[in-house]
Amino acid sequence: MALRAEVLSLFRSLLRTAAKFSDYNIREYAKRRVIDGFLDNRGLTDPSSIAAAFADGKSQLEVAKRQAVVYSLYAPRIKSVMEVESP
Amino acid sequence: MAAMAAVRSALLSHLRVRVESPAAPAVALSFVHIIRRRFSNEVMGSFLDKSEVADRIITVVKNFQKVDPSKVTPNAHFQKDLGLDSLDTVEIVMALEEEFGFEIPDNEADKIDSINVAVDFIASHPQAK
Repeated sequence: MALRAEVLSLFRSLLRTAAKFSDYNIREYAKRRVIDGFLDNRGLTDPSSIAAAFADGKSQLEVAKRQAVVYSLYAPRIKSVMEVESP
Repeated sequence: MAAMAAVRSALLSHLRVRVESPAAPAVALSFVHIIRRRFSNEVMGSFLDKSEVADRIITVVKNFQKVDPSKVTPNAHFQKDLGLDSLDTVEIVMALEEEFGFEIPDNEADKIDSINVAVDFIASHPQAK
C-alpha cells in the first residue's frame, strides 16, 4: 500500500512534469488533470483501490514524462495569448 | 601580370588582417566575461532580504484559489489556519518554487507547512531570486 509521503511525492512529480509541456493548453490541462485526479481519489479507503490508483498515477507519470519530451520537439512557434504578460 | 599578383596578394593579406583583428578582442572579452560570471552573485547566488521574501510569499499564498486572502498573516499555518490540505500545501510549495525560480527538493518541501517556515527556508537559500 502506498504511503502518504509516496502519494505526495507522486503528486509533486506529476505537477513538475505537467509544468514541462511547452504548449500552454497542454500544460494547463495536465496540471488541472493531475489535481482533479488526486481530488477524485481523496476519499479512497480500500487498500486495493488505493494501490490501483497509485499504480495508475505512476504509469501516467511515465506517459507524461515521455510526451513532454515528444511535444517539445513540436513546440508551438508562437506563445498562446494567455502567456503574454499584460502591460 | 606580376603587378596583378602583387596587388592580389597585398589585398589578400590586408583582408586577412582585417578579418582577424576584430575577432581576437571579442574572444578575450568573452573569456574575461566567463571568469567574471563565475564569481558574480548571479551564479554564486545571494541571499534575499527576509522582509521582501515574506511579502512575496504572502502575495503568492493570497493568490492561491482556495485561500481566503483576509486570513493570510505572516504566521499563518497552511493546514491549521488557512484550511488547506496536504495536496494544496504541495501546490503552494510548487507556486513558491515558480516565484523564486529554484527547485525545492522533496525532503525540504515536506517540511514547509506554514508561511514562517517558508520564509526562513527561502531567505536562507542562496539560489532564491
